Amino acid sequence: MTTTARARVPADASRTEGPALSASGLRARRAAERRRSGAVIVLMAPFFALLTTIFLIPVGTAVYLSFFSDDQPGLGFGAERTVFVGLRSYAAVLTDPTFLGGLGTVALYCLIYLPLMVVSALVLALLLDSGAVRLRAFAQLGLFLPHAVPGIIAALIWLYLYTPGISPVIDLFARADITIDFLGIHTVVPSIVNIAVWSNLGYNMVVFYAALQAVPREVIEASVVDGAGPVRTALQVKTPLVRASIVMVAIFTLIWALQLFTEPMLLSQSSPMISSRFSPSMYIYDAAFTRNNYGLAAAASVVLLMCTIALSYGVTRFTGRADAEEAR
Amino acid sequence: MPGRPDRRSVLAAMAAVPLTGAASACSGDNGASSAGTGRTTRITFWSALRGSQEVVDAFNRTHDKVRVDFQQIPSGGQGGYAKLSNAARAGNAPDVATIEYPQVPGFAIDGVARDITGLVSDSLRRKLLPQALAQTTFEGRVFSVPLDVEPMVMHYRADLFDRYGLQVARTWDEFAEQAATVRRKAADRRLVLFPTDGMTQFAAYAWQAGAQWFDTSEGAWNVSLADAPSRRVARYWQRLIDRDDVFVNAVESRQSDAQIGNGLVLTRLSGAWDAGAQMNARPAQKGQWRIAPLPQWDTGSPSVGTHGGSTFAVTKDSRRPEAAMEFIEWQVTHPDALRARLSSGTSSQYPAAPGLVAVGRKAFDRSYYGGQDIYRLFEQEAEKIGEGWRWGPRMSATQRVMQDSFARVGGGQGSLAASLRTAQEGTMPDLKALGLSTTQHTT
Repeated sequence: MTTTARARVPADASRTEGPALSASGLRARRAAERRRSGAVIVLMAPFFALLTTIFLIPVGTAVYLSFFSDDQPGLGFGAERTVFVGLRSYAAVLTDPTFLGGLGTVALYCLIYLPLMVVSALVLALLLDSGAVRLRAFAQLGLFLPHAVPGIIAALIWLYLYTPGISPVIDLFARADITIDFLGIHTVVPSIVNIAVWSNLGYNMVVFYAALQAVPREVIEASVVDGAGPVRTALQVKTPLVRASIVMVAIFTLIWALQLFTEPMLLSQSSPMISSRFSPSMYIYDAAFTRNNYGLAAAASVVLLMCTIALSYGVTRFTGRADAEEAR
Repeated sequence: MPGRPDRRSVLAAMAAVPLTGAASACSGDNGASSAGTGRTTRITFWSALRGSQEVVDAFNRTHDKVRVDFQQIPSGGQGGYAKLSNAARAGNAPDVATIEYPQVPGFAIDGVARDITGLVSDSLRRKLLPQALAQTTFEGRVFSVPLDVEPMVMHYRADLFDRYGLQVARTWDEFAEQAATVRRKAADRRLVLFPTDGMTQFAAYAWQAGAQWFDTSEGAWNVSLADAPSRRVARYWQRLIDRDDVFVNAVESRQSDAQIGNGLVLTRLSGAWDAGAQMNARPAQKGQWRIAPLPQWDTGSPSVGTHGGSTFAVTKDSRRPEAAMEFIEWQVTHPDALRARLSSGTSSQYPAAPGLVAVGRKAFDRSYYGGQDIYRLFEQEAEKIGEGWRWGPRMSATQRVMQDSFARVGGGQGSLAASLRTAQEGTMPDLKALGLSTTQHTT
């Protein structure tokens, strides 16, 4: 993200300035600081209020639920009592082949979806930026519009296109003597990837396009003067300059993909190949609402959260180090 | 049964009383008069069983002290069980709830179904089939009262059997031979469907073969979904599937409806209740169907499993458990209740109280089955129900995992035996996370 990268510079600058101010009127400085910290508190309050109510409290509840349970000894028909169960729920989740299968499914989904999304969004943005595309505004709108369609509606539209018997697409293929089952055992993940790409391609493309607009024109002119063709300019000059956006899009796409839920949930209505525990999020939903097993659902949620945080941190850290090396 | 209404439970006790109009009119009067005495106890009743309203009306018409407020809810898999769980969590569950056999242990463990051992009178106990009551009794405590018990039987197309020269199979081996014969003689027809959404059907086959998926005799939940009898059943059906001798698809589907409606499938293996469901769903096939006992593994010691059936529980929130119990007892043992259900012509429920069988036989319209006395057959079959079967603590989940895997078998991946193991592996973490004592055996 170019904006944050720039914002970091003045912040660092002010930190180094700090000690230099030491002797000039302590009292005035304290008053100013108090005013400023007051303003900081007021301005940050909404953020912390929201962070607490919609993130920290739910996460805390999930963590609590994952460590405590209303147990009945033996067969379970006795009186309930709330006890600390340690890592029992975690052990159950991590030894559940259906949960691990769900993680595997999402890993496969990410492997297909992430590169496909980032590469195609970037290619489209570069094409638009290079001016190779006519009717640019129209193309942008057309690509962006699917993002405005809510996920459920999108899944319903695609469900219609995927269901044999009612789908005009399958009909057309059938006329050409091609039998195609979009919801078969091997096609179901690509079919879900297709929905996600359709929904989010335009959005990510706009992010890249905006980043490309910020690339200094003189750099591009310099590359042209040095004899680089349009393809070379795009790949070796523009692309490295929007790396921060690429990383950001990759992280957001990854987080979104890990929470895969709406599309498979809806498609499962018409494909027996999508089980009730297809993805980790579906596993959590199933554990809480059909199995009435809140400890298990909470533990699975915490595991999923940890995976997401670890992966996001890993990506940031990795690219951060690469940035630092480059700067050197 | 995710996704589709559970016909088995919905239809098992379906009823529409011809007296409906009169009944509701009378119940209005009744309400007024009992309100006058000021001593009416009101209880609430939730059920997905169609026709319950009429049964409730009949009850309210004949009872002054207890008055039932009925609410129709979606069937279990369609959200009915979730609704019940959530209501219990919120502390406003109805006094009386309807729970199918497989879900009884789960609701008992969750504390939704109350321990009603002390409320079940000796006379009620004597009136119920012991095998049925055993299904709702755990550690000597009763958690719900059986309404119907449904031995699995073979519904078959007598006209098509004649055309292809088939006799009713007495053993599973004969049945397998017939499956091959039917495919040979009519390429688009099959003897039977293996339902990929049919854990309850598979359970009935396994039950018959002597399987014991869950065993509580040693104070822990011993889970063995892939025990030797179950594997035998899996091998049997796997062979039929591999030879393309049976249809393999969901039974709760349009595809299956078409197979039955177009006469492509010659037999249907399901509970006694399904006779009424069939009458209701396909009136045009009147006279073509008959019912026979399920084929046996060993004709020397015949056995069957059950498929379907419901029970009534008093919930932990009920503040009038005695009144709730009075209503339940009337529903499951009074001839008027069964008459109300059967006169609709859409139910063939086999009551869990054997004393009512005569009532059922008399009230059931036999013309659809060419005059066959199907209740006599059901009675014979009910006596063969194998003892010792137990459902598990999280049967809806076990069911889903097994059926998800069956569906993949239908898609050409995996095997039925592997599905059983998958279901076991998908069940254990659940039970462990609930803190239950568990053991596993795959003998």
